[in-house]
Amino acid sequence: MSKAKLRSSLLAVLRCNTAHSTAINFPNVSNSALSSQLPSNCISLSQLPSTAECFRLWRSSRCECLNNLRFPSRVFSSRSAEASDLKLRCWNCGAAAPTSVVFLVCDSCRSIQPLDQSVDYFQIFGLEKKYEIGDVNLESQYKDWQKKLHPDLVHSKSDREREYAAEQSARVIDAYRTLSKPLSRAIYILKLEGLDVNEEDTISEPELLNEIMEIREAVEDASGSQELNQIQSQMQEKLNHWSNTFAKALRNRNFDDAISSIQRMTYYERVKEEITKKL
Amino acid sequence: MAEPIYTVASDSETTGEDRSAPIFPEIAVGIDIGTSQCSIAFWNGSQVELLKNTRNQKIMRSYVTFKDDTPSGGVINELSHEYDMLSGAAIFNMKRLIGRVDTDPVVHASKSLPFLVQTLDIGVRPFVAALVNNVWRSTTPEEVLAIFLVELKMMAEHQLKRPIRNVVLTIPVSFSRFQLTRVERACAMAGLQVRLMPEPTAVALLYAQQQQQQAVHENMGSGSEKIALIFNMGAGYCDVAVSATGGGVSQIKALAGSPIGGEDLLQNTMKYLLPNVESIFSHRGIDEIRRMGLLRVATQDAIHKLSFQSSVQIDVNLGNGSKLCKVLSREEFEMVNSEVFEKCKNLVNQCLHDARVGIDDLSDVVVVGGCSNIPKIRSLLMQKSKKKALYEGMNPLEAAVSGAALEGAVASGIADPFGSLDLLSIQATPLAIGIRADGNSFIPIIPKNTTMPARKELVFTTVKDNQSEALIVVYEGEETRAEENHLLGYFKIIGIPPAPKGLPEITICMDIDSSNMLRVLAGARLPGAHHPATPFMEVKMPTVDDGHGWCAEALHGKYGAAMDLVSLQKKS
Ligand SMILES: [Zn+2]
Repeated sequence: MSKAKLRSSLLAVLRCNTAHSTAINFPNVSNSALSSQLPSNCISLSQLPSTAECFRLWRSSRCECLNNLRFPSRVFSSRSAEASDLKLRCWNCGAAAPTSVVFLVCDSCRSIQPLDQSVDYFQIFGLEKKYEIGDVNLESQYKDWQKKLHPDLVHSKSDREREYAAEQSARVIDAYRTLSKPLSRAIYILKLEGLDVNEEDTISEPELLNEIMEIREAVEDASGSQELNQIQSQMQEKLNHWSNTFAKALRNRNFDDAISSIQRMTYYERVKEEITKKL
Repeated sequence: MAEPIYTVASDSETTGEDRSAPIFPEIAVGIDIGTSQCSIAFWNGSQVELLKNTRNQKIMRSYVTFKDDTPSGGVINELSHEYDMLSGAAIFNMKRLIGRVDTDPVVHASKSLPFLVQTLDIGVRPFVAALVNNVWRSTTPEEVLAIFLVELKMMAEHQLKRPIRNVVLTIPVSFSRFQLTRVERACAMAGLQVRLMPEPTAVALLYAQQQQQQAVHENMGSGSEKIALIFNMGAGYCDVAVSATGGGVSQIKALAGSPIGGEDLLQNTMKYLLPNVESIFSHRGIDEIRRMGLLRVATQDAIHKLSFQSSVQIDVNLGNGSKLCKVLSREEFEMVNSEVFEKCKNLVNQCLHDARVGIDDLSDVVVVGGCSNIPKIRSLLMQKSKKKALYEGMNPLEAAVSGAALEGAVASGIADPFGSLDLLSIQATPLAIGIRADGNSFIPIIPKNTTMPARKELVFTTVKDNQSEALIVVYEGEETRAEENHLLGYFKIIGIPPAPKGLPEITICMDIDSSNMLRVLAGARLPGAHHPATPFMEVKMPTVDDGHGWCAEALHGKYGAAMDLVSLQKKS
């Protein structure tokens, strides 16, 4: 493959294949999001309750359709004073919510509770809101939740509870998927901090661009699975490195570095994916 | 035999919305209607049991004969001879035809069957007919399916002494949602409410139950997580799944499927044995149908024998003085069908890739279905998985139906004092669902292998200044070009506020609920606006009914790119 062709295909990969091709020529794009630390200043569409959100609310008729659009970032508000003031009780039997674990299912009557968006993914898995989650077994916890929440298991219950089951179950799926991968976990934790990282359209540094291009060239030229496996493990090393860098940046609340770590992780992940396709 | 009584559901509601409380205690029933064989199983309170027909068969033939005036199926009916099935009076392989249009290669491959499959090649349903007293009498795949469903239902009601209304039915992975509506229609005709379950996921649930029991037996608590590769190949379809099982929960990580199966092996081999087979058969005279039948039976028999011996002698008298005498070796059989086996291998590779699972992570490789005895299939899977042995814990012909009955039992909330139903199957979407945008591209909104229930959205924008309408064409599939996927339906968004192109935000949200119902929600607004410009649209999919092959073409011809969309922004 010629260099020019390679570059153009690289550009295509780095750029999201969507309508607006911001990215490469505008190095400041990624910084605009983080320069405004106040969530209210950087409301992007994703911080409004999404259409999916409204759809859900609408279907369970807990909201007059889309009028709720004007309440931004309700989704990611931390579980602060207002939440703890409110004594949560089971909608079915009235039993009080336990204080130690997140209240998705009532311990007394096994009823599935309505979705509470203020509960974050970490709380669902009983984790501290920290990037490093150690070797906690998410998979088995995820399955335990599904056994309590999955809509297939409440077919004989009321419409109301089946709706709760569908919502809770879907949220646990999202939580599991998000937390189980370092990259998505990193993006999520920044989201909780009020920073929306768009992994699709951010690349600013020519060095990184060059490095990625060289790697891709190496992948292109690799003569066998052994070589590919070698690049693969190099990528894994880089991922581990930037994952650690991200963790450190986050601890120091250095969001610039955190975001640039995420960008790098995104590209190395992509290379890995490409290698997997070739293997 | 009494004429089966059909109850036909209303047009829009082929899926079960009726949740009225059952008068009789619920019994969980699973049905597997294969391309060539069918079976029915129920949960007897402690385990799954397969029902037998009056001839003591658990695995029955999937066909319907139209003799005299009463159609009758392979559940109750007994053929005096195998050739009777090939006389043109019997309709079979309907699972390969249901919900397909006459431009589909699978439909074309069915044209060499002894009954009539006629195509006009314009994207409408094919014409199917049985030969009754020298007359081609028309029928439909739905009707044929409904007939054996009624027979299975009657048989089960008789033996279990209660009415059967709710069943779990297994379906191929590659079925589109449109095909599912046709299966649901057949079930409704037979008076059944169905829950549809992809075949390998039913097998995965059975596997989860077996692992759970073993863990309890060995006192290992809930046991460790096991990744299984499930390969299910019958007469009509080849399906692959990767599941992660632990604590009785089977999470489907990836699915892959294709309409290839034993029927293709059979047809390829017939063509090899008698190269001019198609021209001999093209006129469809009664003699020709009979001769074709003789060849089919002999070939089927030979393929079966080749699973156990390395070569087979074939002797068929084809009438008119022509005879076929040949020794067919296993190598020849494998060579003739190398393309089919290659496709099987590709499906396995794709599924493992999509599941992001390495060979070393696989605990077990489960091979089931009518083709599971074929040595090439077994060696292919052992080679691919680098395993010396395949999983042996289940009967390959009974696995899918047993899993379906288990799913029925788990989902119906039947009392389970021993905890043997402490199971769950978490499904994933077998195909991506999205819309046509960015020119003629298929833009998935809910990707393939998304865990269900699922809800996803994407934002699009207009391609023209002051574009006030957008055509939303919904497809399901894996192809990059929109029209190569299955069309599910279409509708228009109107009242997009006037603005330069690229500015309005058109949000398309897709939702698959716990009963596998797909809804598409769409709305338009200008950036920053808190309110949508016009009421949102909510559309249940699929909306296409028939002739969907030419719908898409007609839409394109009429509107061109006037109401197109491009994607705006990636969101999860
Ligand atoms: Zn309660």
